[in-house]
Amino acid sequence: MSFTDQDEALISAALDGSARAWERLVKRYESRVYNFSLRLTGNQTDALDLMQEVFLGVYRNLHRFRGDSQFTTWLFRIAHNKAVDMSRRKYMVTSLSTLAGQNQSEEDVLDHITNDKGEQDPQRLLSASQTNTEIIGCLDILNWEQRLVVELKVFQSHTFEEIAEMQDISANTVKTRFYTALKLLKNHMEQNHELS
Amino acid sequence: MSCHESSTLVPDYFDETLSLQHRNVMEAHLQHCADCQEALADAKNLNAHLRQWQDEAVPQWQRVPRQLQDKSASTRPHFSFWGQWAPLAGAFVMAVAVMFNVQLQIADNGLTLAFGGSAGVDANNIAAQLAQFETEQRAAQQQTLQELSAQIEERQAGSNARLLETVIEQFGDSTTRSLEQVMAYFEAQRQEDLQLMQASYQRLADSDFQTVRSMQQLANYVQYQGNQLR
Repeated sequence: MSFTDQDEALISAALDGSARAWERLVKRYESRVYNFSLRLTGNQTDALDLMQEVFLGVYRNLHRFRGDSQFTTWLFRIAHNKAVDMSRRKYMVTSLSTLAGQNQSEEDVLDHITNDKGEQDPQRLLSASQTNTEIIGCLDILNWEQRLVVELKVFQSHTFEEIAEMQDISANTVKTRFYTALKLLKNHMEQNHELS
Repeated sequence: MSCHESSTLVPDYFDETLSLQHRNVMEAHLQHCADCQEALADAKNLNAHLRQWQDEAVPQWQRVPRQLQDKSASTRPHFSFWGQWAPLAGAFVMAVAVMFNVQLQIADNGLTLAFGGSAGVDANNIAAQLAQFETEQRAAQQQTLQELSAQIEERQAGSNARLLETVIEQFGDSTTRSLEQVMAYFEAQRQEDLQLMQASYQRLADSDFQTVRSMQQLANYVQYQGNQLR
């Protein structure tokens, strides 16, 4: 039985009410979703929240999965939407906290959110290797949209067309965001190397 | 200084869906553009650096949503097909039995199943049987009461005679007259006790008759309800 067939069998059993099948299905993908969440949010607490929201969304919409696409594609479409929802919620919270008439654009606030984690001790954000900490440090300089594109392209290996469909934008816009993100990351790494 | 082609060439390089023709054009440009070569090399290095990510272990969390836990718990006991329908079938049979006044009689010659109360048992039959039972019970109790009274009277008379003989022996003829008065008193007491005892037995018998009448009323009510359902 192929991996996709196993997915479909587990989905079918989960839809019939099997908690065990659902748990097995989650275990197959939770690591990918958790690390996706970790790279996007930069801290374990938010990553866990995001992962839980993703799988809850998957569970609630499982009956809508038709098998037209791979389960992973469908799963990460939900993950993408939940990540965007989370960024908007954070934007609203930040906006409320800066209600005193400061003329900040949405992009400024999103940048503030993503950079906000930089104030925390990186060692406390991750329990993993130095490499992961450095990668999180790099991704921190990107805004939410750029970070999502890099995440979906580099780590999830989606095509630009798939990312464009998820984000409801053109493939060329996705490519532009990807190129901009790479340039920013390159500059950041060069600066860090110069400093060191 | 950088080539303006880099902004499209670099992403195109990472586009797996790029057509072969487009890819050949890209390769041709890379052959003679040092800027694009450098930009692409940086992008490849960056991509490789990011891919060094080591997956973090997932913390402990509640994988199964509460809704599914409840659903799974409620579907856990598995009944067979007949097991699932048995309670409903039982309820249906009971409803039919009540609606059509089904009566089942067990006799020496087998079972008798009747609908609508047309079997041998009806209200008149029940009433007649209960009346006969009441009459028999009343007669039996009356006879028992008479027998008890006779026994008590006989025993009491014997006791009084023995008492009289003893007293005569003890006190002689001189006290005979006074003893006769005592005897008259004892006799009066005995008659009074006897009447009290008879009254008590009568009340007990009446109570039994009342029970029989209640049973008869209950039987009439059941028969009436059966007729109403029909």
